[in-house]
Amino acid sequence: MGELSYIGKSFRRKDGPDKVTGRAMYSQDVKLPGTLIGRILRSPHPHARILRIDTSKARALPGVKAVITVDDTKGIKHGFVETPRYPPDQEVLARGRVVHVGEEIAAVAAIDQLTARQALELIEVDYEILPAVFDPDEAIQPDAPQIHPTHPKAQVPFSNIGGRTATGWGDVEAGFAESDYVREDRFESHLRTHGYLEPHTTIAHWENERLNVWTSSMGTFIKRAKLAKTLDLPYSAVRVHKAYVGGTFGGKIDLYSHEYCAARLSMITRRPVRIVATREDIFAAYRHGQPLAMEIKTGVKKDGTIVAQQIRVINNSGAYRGSGVVVIFLAWGFTMIPYRIPNLKYEGLSVYTNYTVRAPQRGHGCPQIRFAIESQLDRIAEDLGIDPVTIRLRNARKPWEELPNGDNVHEAGLIDCIKVAAEKSDFLGKYGKGRKAASTIRRGIGMGVSGYFGGSLIYPNGSGVIVKMNDDGTPTVLTGGIDVGQGSETVISQIVAEELAVNIDDVKIISSDTDTTPQDIGAWISGMTYVTGNAARQAAGNVRQQLLDLAALRFNVDIKHLGIKDRVIFNRNDPGQRMTYREIIAHSIATRRGDTIIGEGFWRTMRDEPTHPSLATTKGRWSENYAYSCQVAEVEVDIESGEARLIKALTVHDCGFPINPALVKGQIDGQVSMALGHAFLEEVLTKNGYTLNPTWLDYRMPTIHEMAASDDADVITEQYVVGKPYRTKEVGEGLVSGILAAIANAVYDATGVRLTSTPFTPEKILKGVRKLAREGKGRQ
Amino acid sequence: MPDAQSKRKVGSQIIEISVNGERHEISVKPRHTLVEVLREKLGLTGTKDGCEQGVCGVCTVLLEGRPVLACITLALECHGKEVRTVEGLAQGETLSVVQQAFLDQGAVQCGFCTPGMLMSVTALLEKNANPSLPEIKKALEGNLCRCTGYNAIVAAVQQAAGQGVKPVMQ
Ligand code: FES
Ligand code: FES
Repeated sequence: MGELSYIGKSFRRKDGPDKVTGRAMYSQDVKLPGTLIGRILRSPHPHARILRIDTSKARALPGVKAVITVDDTKGIKHGFVETPRYPPDQEVLARGRVVHVGEEIAAVAAIDQLTARQALELIEVDYEILPAVFDPDEAIQPDAPQIHPTHPKAQVPFSNIGGRTATGWGDVEAGFAESDYVREDRFESHLRTHGYLEPHTTIAHWENERLNVWTSSMGTFIKRAKLAKTLDLPYSAVRVHKAYVGGTFGGKIDLYSHEYCAARLSMITRRPVRIVATREDIFAAYRHGQPLAMEIKTGVKKDGTIVAQQIRVINNSGAYRGSGVVVIFLAWGFTMIPYRIPNLKYEGLSVYTNYTVRAPQRGHGCPQIRFAIESQLDRIAEDLGIDPVTIRLRNARKPWEELPNGDNVHEAGLIDCIKVAAEKSDFLGKYGKGRKAASTIRRGIGMGVSGYFGGSLIYPNGSGVIVKMNDDGTPTVLTGGIDVGQGSETVISQIVAEELAVNIDDVKIISSDTDTTPQDIGAWISGMTYVTGNAARQAAGNVRQQLLDLAALRFNVDIKHLGIKDRVIFNRNDPGQRMTYREIIAHSIATRRGDTIIGEGFWRTMRDEPTHPSLATTKGRWSENYAYSCQVAEVEVDIESGEARLIKALTVHDCGFPINPALVKGQIDGQVSMALGHAFLEEVLTKNGYTLNPTWLDYRMPTIHEMAASDDADVITEQYVVGKPYRTKEVGEGLVSGILAAIANAVYDATGVRLTSTPFTPEKILKGVRKLAREGKGRQ
Repeated sequence: MPDAQSKRKVGSQIIEISVNGERHEISVKPRHTLVEVLREKLGLTGTKDGCEQGVCGVCTVLLEGRPVLACITLALECHGKEVRTVEGLAQGETLSVVQQAFLDQGAVQCGFCTPGMLMSVTALLEKNANPSLPEIKKALEGNLCRCTGYNAIVAAVQQAAGQGVKPVMQ
């Protein structure tokens, strides 16, 4: 089909003009007349029995329109995971007991903020404080306080194990026996928040026996499903409208209690109800990421070839299941994607504690486990006298390898990623030099590798797209895909423009409204460009075919003689025969009673697979798209103060091919920034389940002063051909991972200090430097 | 409800402010912030509300030409003053050079920090047409962005300042 006009080019965002003029409507901008203000009463205790709730005084306050507790709900449970093994485990409001600080107990709707706040103060709750547990190692002891006494346990007799993933292949013991060198290490990661700038906001309006909702989300269809379920309404009675979303990063997928409460309060009051989470609530009571402890034993041959690996991951999953049982599955996946591991034994435990619930967070386990594995790999390399590049190349998966779960990596670009990264950064030229420098400011370089799946199966599994032609020859695209900032509206428009040979400015896009657009997987399973994009390609291709058929009929020629360009179809053999789309549609109206031209597309990964793999055993296909990357970090460390910062990042990745290179670059830069926050700055500090730093003043998110130079290179492994399915790979979340590992390895390269837990604070670095000096190993 | 409301009327005052060149007389209470006035009373929702703690910068507007955080600026302080918001940047359909540069450089992702960023950058360039990198960073240190890592935002400022940075998007 020759040159591509729209794919592979950096078109400006479709939603850009709305966003730079203030016209873009976020949930907080939706105004409905008569809106009531909702607020939530939260638990002040990490673990307590609720002896009594009395809402009568609150109800009696003038201006209060409704107060709800769990008794006003249908008692239907929900969960991030809802499978037979892991059934939904959480009610929308606490029943009888609270298990974490901030757990939702009651909600009010009132005429204004002040009244709503006063009403909360008038709700009386008597608690009986129960012993609480916060450390997963303690929580799994037989005598630990039981957080969910009635839940079936994953592993008797341990307490509080909410989920277990156990898998592997080969024979690890034989593998270790066969190895020339075996090493064991333990790594830990810490609690970080997502840092979306838009606070959670929901406005719900029950009208004509239907619920209208605008809410901060990463997928309107999943929100509709969870709301309908917990409210006991048919899906069709719930409409989740499009709203722009001010950042998500994994933190806006789960059903949140405030979303339910806004809806329920609106159903009771028959007025719109808005609930906004305060930033303090988000820090102290909402869901953050998942801190993992990771024990890794690896056996290698003298040349660094991995023979066997045994991994145990313990997740402090908070007080409900959340995505805790997913992250222990995913940590297995992110272990096995990049390197060949002939013998593996993996166990992941997700342990209930009296912390707030955990959510997915960009990378969902990948940054943690890659930090651990890549750090250990560098140690092994050094112990064996091999350089970091060679050991990675030795183990990297090759194109078309079959993974142990039966998936194929297709044109995996990992080997090229490592080679290009090493070359572009002059890795071996710089590695090992910083430590020897005489100055107290040390430079270091480090490398990290990661791999990521794309678009796996989870409700609603696939995406549909509709393209309909307007009489003026322009297309309108209906997609359920939600643009959370990644640029999906732009990417989908580029695909439709390419397939239909229309100008991208003429593509009108209507998105993410559960009533008017087709079902969509959402922006949370790393597959929108692939899944929704292929659906858009199909839908547009369908329209193109209909237009060609009509033109062929009109010109009375075989379709194969027709060409298509700039909204015109022409006969290649007879330049006189040409019609614009507009003319074709007008002609169709005149001669065929004007059947509207509508194209449909539907896409789903692994069409023959009924569902996602087992979270407990990992059995089953997982993905048909594996993205790979190699990232290099250059850091500067002041060994007198322990202060370290990322100076320069290089990301070499295989996303298949970029549909919009500038949007891909935007994802990379954002992930590098998030990773440097992870490495050096950010930590939700807690004590006994209470958050000690619930503001951005005390929780240090990267500011413009921490900006790092971010370079990238794209290893192109796939291509786009008009009319054919294409394969793109994940690019929006996996790249927070290799760079975190690279930073850890670079800090070591600069100082000789090996950090086994995030974040890499000045205290930890200084401690390491001093220890080296005491041992006489300190260089200076 | 009626008496609750009338009780709270006590202390209300009328302020006069000019917003994007239009004069408004608004009744406000001492506790009302500028962001509430803009978003709730005037319906100018382009200015965002992100933390109400004065730390994220998404509520940045220009008060007498200087960037302020509208969430911690009391409405009463704005009496008789001139406020500019993101809605006032474009001339009709024509975007300002700063708005255009943000689009050209991919400096907008989720867009939630964008209105505040645009106001901080506009104020910077009005005072200093050719800022250095440290000056750019200083001017934007109060505006958080979680999406972009700031690289594209710096490039956008440099493009808008005519420092030879070419658009990366078409
Ligand atoms: S909302 Fe004003 S600084 Fe965050
Ligand atoms: S673009 Fe999302 S926070 Fe800046």
